[in-house]
Amino acid sequence: MTELKKVLKLRTVVSASAGLAMATSVYLAGLQIALIVVGELAWISILVAGALCLLSAMCFSELVSLYPTAAGIKLYIQHAFNEKAAIAIGMFYVIAGASIVGAESYLLSSVMIETVGIHVSLLADRFFWMAIFIVLVAYINYRGVSITGWVQDFMTYIMFAFLLFVSIYTLATHDVDLGPALHSPDFTLGKVLTAAGLGIFLFVGFEWVTPLAEETEDYRMVGKGMILAVLLLAITYSLFVVAMYVGLTDAQRHSGTTIPHILFGRNLFGPIGGVIFIFMSLLASLTSFNSGVLNFSRFGYAMARANILPRVFSKLHPDYATPWVMILGLTIFSIGLCAFTLFTGQYMFIITMAAALECFIYVVISLCLIRLRKKFPDQERSYRVPFGKLIPVVNIVVFSGLMLGIFADTTRDAMGKVLFKNYWVAVAMAGFALVMTAYALVIVPRLQQAAQQRASTRKRRRPGQS
Amino acid sequence: MATSKDIMEALADYKEQCNNNKRLRRMQRDWSKLLHFIASDTGDKFTMEVKNGEIIRNEAGARGVPDVIVTATSEDMCDMFWGDLNPAQKYLDGKILVKATPEDVQRIDAITMIIWPEG
Repeated sequence: MTELKKVLKLRTVVSASAGLAMATSVYLAGLQIALIVVGELAWISILVAGALCLLSAMCFSELVSLYPTAAGIKLYIQHAFNEKAAIAIGMFYVIAGASIVGAESYLLSSVMIETVGIHVSLLADRFFWMAIFIVLVAYINYRGVSITGWVQDFMTYIMFAFLLFVSIYTLATHDVDLGPALHSPDFTLGKVLTAAGLGIFLFVGFEWVTPLAEETEDYRMVGKGMILAVLLLAITYSLFVVAMYVGLTDAQRHSGTTIPHILFGRNLFGPIGGVIFIFMSLLASLTSFNSGVLNFSRFGYAMARANILPRVFSKLHPDYATPWVMILGLTIFSIGLCAFTLFTGQYMFIITMAAALECFIYVVISLCLIRLRKKFPDQERSYRVPFGKLIPVVNIVVFSGLMLGIFADTTRDAMGKVLFKNYWVAVAMAGFALVMTAYALVIVPRLQQAAQQRASTRKRRRPGQS
Repeated sequence: MATSKDIMEALADYKEQCNNNKRLRRMQRDWSKLLHFIASDTGDKFTMEVKNGEIIRNEAGARGVPDVIVTATSEDMCDMFWGDLNPAQKYLDGKILVKATPEDVQRIDAITMIIWPEG
């Protein structure tokens, strides 16, 4: 087999996968998990969530080995079911997933306000910081500046090393008494599972690494990378969330803060600790934003070229060869989301939706795996999930249950006040899924018909072909 | 099934179309890559060398260590080089496989889009 001049190493696949999942919003989600169960035992829910994500990573690995292409999820659904389902579900997943930017930018604006203070008003300053990061990342992508694998590796592993160091230091210097925690009335199976449902959010995006299959020599490396990334995330988060919980005062835990990691850093190392966490937040958010804009703009460009989105989104910049209309569209969409989050203040709504969306997509992926094994039993797979249908079936049952559990729950703030009933998340997701289905059934056929008409007016150029 | 000669003819036309397109040359001016094309049904291989956006060489056989490897059926490959096929569509359907960075994948598709915008 011919080898590529430049190929990705396993460490870069791991750092890309884990880097996508590490963002500023995971600190707040981590504290929420600790507040649902007993803080000292939050690691149990995180490990449960990690173990479940590991099963999904195994399913993704088999699908990548079957279809090692950037078209990824669309292709799995298309081959398992049909093109319309692939378009509806693929767009639902990608666009709803992009809404995380609303929560992430809101929390990042909290970090910046904490750092530089308020200059005009809380609302105006928040909006400024939310928009400025999005515009900055959009501009980087518009100019076609890309982060190399080496830089990605360096940033991600620095963040891991730092979080692990802080966690181990805290756990070594603070009393963590598991005895009372184990006997707490809050330590119930129901609460552990509810927290595990939210814990899925901590791993959001690890699977977006599947397009990297095209840059590796061995497709199995992507699967291996995802599995290692999930393991690394599970261990790091388990330690860090418990450390953050014990490192915060009781008043801080229940203050409703959006920057628990910065308060934790200050408690631990004074002002310098806060500054380091602010830097880590910026790094995590900017790399996540950048990956998001890069992946979504390329995905959108390919969809527009394949006449699934309007052709205007396939326009390329004449100098930088970047899909500038798609990037512009994404920027406007992201700023709109920021405005929505800012005026409603419901960033937890987006975090909850993202967790439910991940559960949904893991169910879809598991269904695809079962169906593709039945449809194409002899197609070459360099990796096969062991134990037959057991793992995909377990995935379907567990993630359906978790998703329903999320929808049945109520989201409260740190003081216990009800923020919203989670069935509204289900309503919002169902509404959006309906819009995407209508788009796939009504708009896409029109776009494809128009493309066919254009093609029919053009004579084939290949000699001897009419 | 397209023969190696058919594909070489298609590549010759593709080279002319690309190199004569000012807009494309401007956009790809910093793109220098060695590409391998593999016909999945016949096993034929081809090498294309691009320097600063200009295709400077096409040849039968796989030469050197490539930056990009494109695998498709000989028919799809021929149609793609003649501009009779939308590569993005085939790519999203999994019928054209590309081993490359996402940026290079997009650049290859951009060539077709710029020289045959009506496709």
